[in-house]
Amino acid sequence: MTETERQALDAFSQGQMTAIELRRRLGGATYGDVLRLLDEASLPLPRAPVAGREQNLERARAWLFPKHVP
Amino acid sequence: MSRDLKLFVVDTGPLITLAVAQSLDYLLYADADVVIPDAVLYEATHDAARLGAQDIIDWVKAHHRRIEVAATKAYEIFDAARMTIPNLREPDLGERAAVEVIEQPDRLQGTERGLWLCEETEVLRRGTVRDRDRIVEISTLDFLRILEAEQRIQSAEQIFELAAHAGRLASRAEKLREQDEVTRAAVQSLVRRRDSGHER
Repeated sequence: MTETERQALDAFSQGQMTAIELRRRLGGATYGDVLRLLDEASLPLPRAPVAGREQNLERARAWLFPKHVP
Repeated sequence: MSRDLKLFVVDTGPLITLAVAQSLDYLLYADADVVIPDAVLYEATHDAARLGAQDIIDWVKAHHRRIEVAATKAYEIFDAARMTIPNLREPDLGERAAVEVIEQPDRLQGTERGLWLCEETEVLRRGTVRDRDRIVEISTLDFLRILEAEQRIQSAEQIFELAAHAGRLASRAEKLREQDEVTRAAVQSLVRRRDSGHER
């Protein structure tokens, strides 16, 4: 893996780059390839930022489990 | 399929992540029908043949009453072109198919609502959300966190950790490298099943 590719992988892992963009930069890698490369580089999958999206998530939860939302 | 809530899996990420964590059934924990664009299913099972491909195909077949494989023009054209160009690759095929499904004007009817499950925010940027009141976009981790909050699963993070260590499955995946023809046949079969109404 080149340094540029490693930097792209880092950026993806930190949520600063979309998976599509990363796959393009890796020469058309599949999402499965991305998972393997993350593992090889000991990098975590990106975590979606929650801040500012609480309302969205609450709405999704209420739709998915309407009986259980307080 | 008759539930009011539709869970649209609009890119390959959620399918592969959950498949390698042996957790695809989590998509069926809520009272929602699952909709997967045909090209997204194809990409998840062809491009990522070494990671969870067969599990995804088996899972879709086993739950065809809950899962709609949505036929798209994008995939139909691609599949036809493959007749003359067997090695044809279209990197954004799934993305275009997802946008096509998202933008279908009659996709949500009556009181139906939709959750878009995806990792590729590019899909959402390209698609036009026609009715924000009836559609919410969430990531795989969002979805898992909701299941955790509802005490349907123990730990969302654990599922992600399993997926992140998916490289360990490489040896198994090697056996699935030549899955393309099988995958195409499976996707076609699943689409035909839906069109002929057998799942209803």
